[in-house]
Amino acid sequence: MLLSLVTLLPLAFALVMLLIPRESWIRPVALVLALAEFVISLKLLIDFDKTTPAIQFVEKIPWVPEMGISYFLGLDGLSLWLVLLTTFLMPIVILGSWTAINTKVKGFHVALFILQTAMMGSFVAMDAILFYVFFELSLVPMYFMVGIWGGQRRIYATVKFFIYTMAGSLMMLLAIIYLMFATRDTLGYMSSSLLDFYAIKLPFVAGELMNPQTLLFFAFSLAFAIKVPMFPFHTWLPDAHVEAPTPGSVLLAGVMLKMGSYGFLRFVIPMFAEAAGYYAWVFLFLGVVGIIYGALVAMVQPDIKKLVAYSSVSHMGYVMIGLFALNTYGVTGSLYQMLNHGVSTGALFLLIGMIYERTHNREISKYGGLAKAMPIFTILFVIVTMSSIAVPMTNGFIGEFLILMGTFEASKPFAIAAVTGVVLGAVYMLWMVKRVFFGPPGELVADEHHPLHDINTREMVVMAPLIVLIFWMGLFPTTFLNYSKASIDHFVNNRDNYRLAAPTTISGPSDTKFAAKESR
Amino acid sequence: MNPTLPTDLVTLKEILVIAPMAAMFLISLIPLLLKPFLGNREPNPFTVLVYNFVGLLTAAGLTAAFFGHGFGGKTFAFSNAVVLDGTTVFMSYLVYIATGVGLMLAYEHVATRGRQFTEFCFLMMSSAVGMLILIMANDLIVTFIGIETMSLCLYILVAMSREQTLSKEAAFKYFVLGSFASAIFLYGVALIYGTVGSTYFPDIATEGVKLITTNRVFLVGTVLVTIGFAFKVAVFPLHSWAPDVYQGAATPVTAFMSTAVKAASFVAFLRFFTTDAIALSPHFLGVMTWLAVLTMTIGNVAAVMQNNFKRILAYSSVAHSGYAMIGLITAGFGTNYDAAATSLLFYLFSYTLMTLGTFALICVFEKNENTSLEVNDLRGVGRRYPWLGMSMTILLLSLAGIPPLLGFFAKFYVFSAAIEQDMYWLVFWGAINSVISVYYYLRPIVVMYMMEDENSAASPLMKSQILTRGTVVVTAMLIVVLGLLSSPLFKMVQRSVLNQF
Repeated sequence: MLLSLVTLLPLAFALVMLLIPRESWIRPVALVLALAEFVISLKLLIDFDKTTPAIQFVEKIPWVPEMGISYFLGLDGLSLWLVLLTTFLMPIVILGSWTAINTKVKGFHVALFILQTAMMGSFVAMDAILFYVFFELSLVPMYFMVGIWGGQRRIYATVKFFIYTMAGSLMMLLAIIYLMFATRDTLGYMSSSLLDFYAIKLPFVAGELMNPQTLLFFAFSLAFAIKVPMFPFHTWLPDAHVEAPTPGSVLLAGVMLKMGSYGFLRFVIPMFAEAAGYYAWVFLFLGVVGIIYGALVAMVQPDIKKLVAYSSVSHMGYVMIGLFALNTYGVTGSLYQMLNHGVSTGALFLLIGMIYERTHNREISKYGGLAKAMPIFTILFVIVTMSSIAVPMTNGFIGEFLILMGTFEASKPFAIAAVTGVVLGAVYMLWMVKRVFFGPPGELVADEHHPLHDINTREMVVMAPLIVLIFWMGLFPTTFLNYSKASIDHFVNNRDNYRLAAPTTISGPSDTKFAAKESR
Repeated sequence: MNPTLPTDLVTLKEILVIAPMAAMFLISLIPLLLKPFLGNREPNPFTVLVYNFVGLLTAAGLTAAFFGHGFGGKTFAFSNAVVLDGTTVFMSYLVYIATGVGLMLAYEHVATRGRQFTEFCFLMMSSAVGMLILIMANDLIVTFIGIETMSLCLYILVAMSREQTLSKEAAFKYFVLGSFASAIFLYGVALIYGTVGSTYFPDIATEGVKLITTNRVFLVGTVLVTIGFAFKVAVFPLHSWAPDVYQGAATPVTAFMSTAVKAASFVAFLRFFTTDAIALSPHFLGVMTWLAVLTMTIGNVAAVMQNNFKRILAYSSVAHSGYAMIGLITAGFGTNYDAAATSLLFYLFSYTLMTLGTFALICVFEKNENTSLEVNDLRGVGRRYPWLGMSMTILLLSLAGIPPLLGFFAKFYVFSAAIEQDMYWLVFWGAINSVISVYYYLRPIVVMYMMEDENSAASPLMKSQILTRGTVVVTAMLIVVLGLLSSPLFKMVQRSVLNQF
């Protein structure tokens, strides 16, 4: 019940939002509800058993028994932190958008809460169709968020985002349907449960494209590679990020991109072990290209937000190479980097949002000397920058270090190429910081008529938890990694024959009618 | 080869089988007969509507009552020319729903509510009777009678709009092309009768199995009949009438036409198509597959380029014919008829629901009978009419197949049935087309919510249209609920197809 509660509560909150009569009450109520949701989700952390790789808090109710689809939720070390990241970012986003969103406040918060359910749902769904439903559902609120509250080219950006993501996921839907019939033929009952998907073996012929495992592998990979986004499927991301309002950017970068990398971790690698092993080099290669390409493109961006958007491409490239290193270091690092990216890029987008609210401009060339005008803001920005370029003691360092270690173990050339990304990352971020915060005051900073105020208490409160987390995750990574250790070890050690355990009461066909299905 | 005619031609069984449509027809005559007694004055439109609803409800009640008691399984009547089975019953309800909604929309719509409302309702009910004949036809001649009864009423309905140019042009186009299609169909029937010696579906099935590969005349006959059906359900390359007619007809008529006509024709198509003869032809599968792919693609690509909302929906309806054809082809050529037919009927049901809701919304925002709604006219609807805007969003997302709405599950079941039969090519194109369709289904949403709302392009709102607005909201709610709980509906359709009651 707890997991369902955590997952579906935001949906109920969305209804609550609809019923609030006064616009001025919406933000406080939303904040309180989001905080309550975060507190409830901490209960998951407390009750979580770190010693087992099995899925926990399991719930299974038949949904469409004719096709073996069930409402099947479960949580393990791979998804636990992503769920908590979502509930953690939510109150921050609501508080962060307090003054940024002025129109249609009610609609905005409704979309926000629906998005939360959709995102958490895709992390905890243990049924492929249920996952697909949440995965696709998450597009709708984000589509509205970018399209209604976004910038100048919002409609182009939002439609591109929607169609791109949908194009990828429809092939995944076909692959899921194929797998459902494969379970019927091998296990004797039709099912879309992930545990059953893990149990079936698909024929694989190395080096040949037209065999089931390879095709399904690429069908799933396409969906997730677009979501991550992996080079060369990243083109929707800069558009969406630049046009999205601050809260949209934070959630998009912080959580939604992780739905893609989580998909690789949960579906692609364990389900198609042979294909994933055989084609790992493709993903290592594209990951490394993404790291370097993202960094180089970020370097020349005139717009701060676009710069951070391209840095996301680069960072997600690390996540991808870590995953496809297929060893403990790499996978652990990737999982950690997903959280890091959520925290630090989320923080960067919030900071950019704060400065944008003051000047309504994001051109790097119009700034300069901001450190004098806004000292506290500068300190926060520099800390987050350090985290983003993975300076030791910040969270970014742990993630990138583990990933590079894993990649080194898997393939030295790729690791060496990836390391250059670390340098390039420092170049574009620090150069941007130099141009924005130091040097002679730019035209916006020097503007006598609109003096810039340093950040206020609300904005401090927004940033404080993120800053704390940056150092906490950088100094005491074991606090977080201990929870995922059992799952990751199990994941890496049993890669060729991955199974997930679940309480016995829920395994097997959930409905006796399935047996008859065979004659269908 | 026909069974010898029984001496008592009409038995009680036969009367009961056609009782629903007879009741519907007779009751729909009452308002028409009232008119002369009132000195040729138009009776109160509301009374007319009520009479017709009584007719519909009586028919629905009779369908439910007779089928529940002693008519389980298949019942043949009139020398096996008609069949009453689960499919018939399920589709009958669909026709009742579409007709009911069509009448409600017409009652409140500016282009249809007027001097001739009585006749309008009568024609719509008669057209529905034609559909009922069509979905229970087990014989090509009866099918033809059904198609003609349905279509002749529709030709007049299209022309009956108060709008003066487009509707007349549309009616004429529809009439000429429809007559051609009927003639082609009838020619096909003649050829089949000439070779098989019967027009009865089971006979075609048993004889056709031999004839399809040996007898060219029979093959040509089946092709011609298929062309006739393809015209009615607007399959490429016989789809080009659809946009013009859909745009020209008064919107309530379009709503009725794009849902009930399509659903009923598809069922008759299914019955003809699944006579085993066609499955054995070496080339039919390839041809039909390509027709389905082209129907989807052309429908969607053309819809992308439209600005008129009704034309967008017309092309989208062509595209949906393509998706439904995936189910049809799977049923005809696959080994698992039940699953494929179930998915097709489910698809038709959800398509009907979504399309009725969308057309109802168009009815709400049409300024007068002479202007047709452009997508850009919807500016500001999201803010000014939150309920309608939200319902519209749900309907369009469902048409695009976004989970967890009904439209997604409809596509899911059709795709599943096809994947089970290894028809990957069809499904692949179905998926590609779903992506294309997202573009134009999102456009009205973009306009409603994301474009600046200028006062000049104010959303037109005729008057308080309780029934029409209610239709929009109710269909949207149903789509959400039936999407989340698609299992009971699916089970119901499955039982209908398997004749298990």
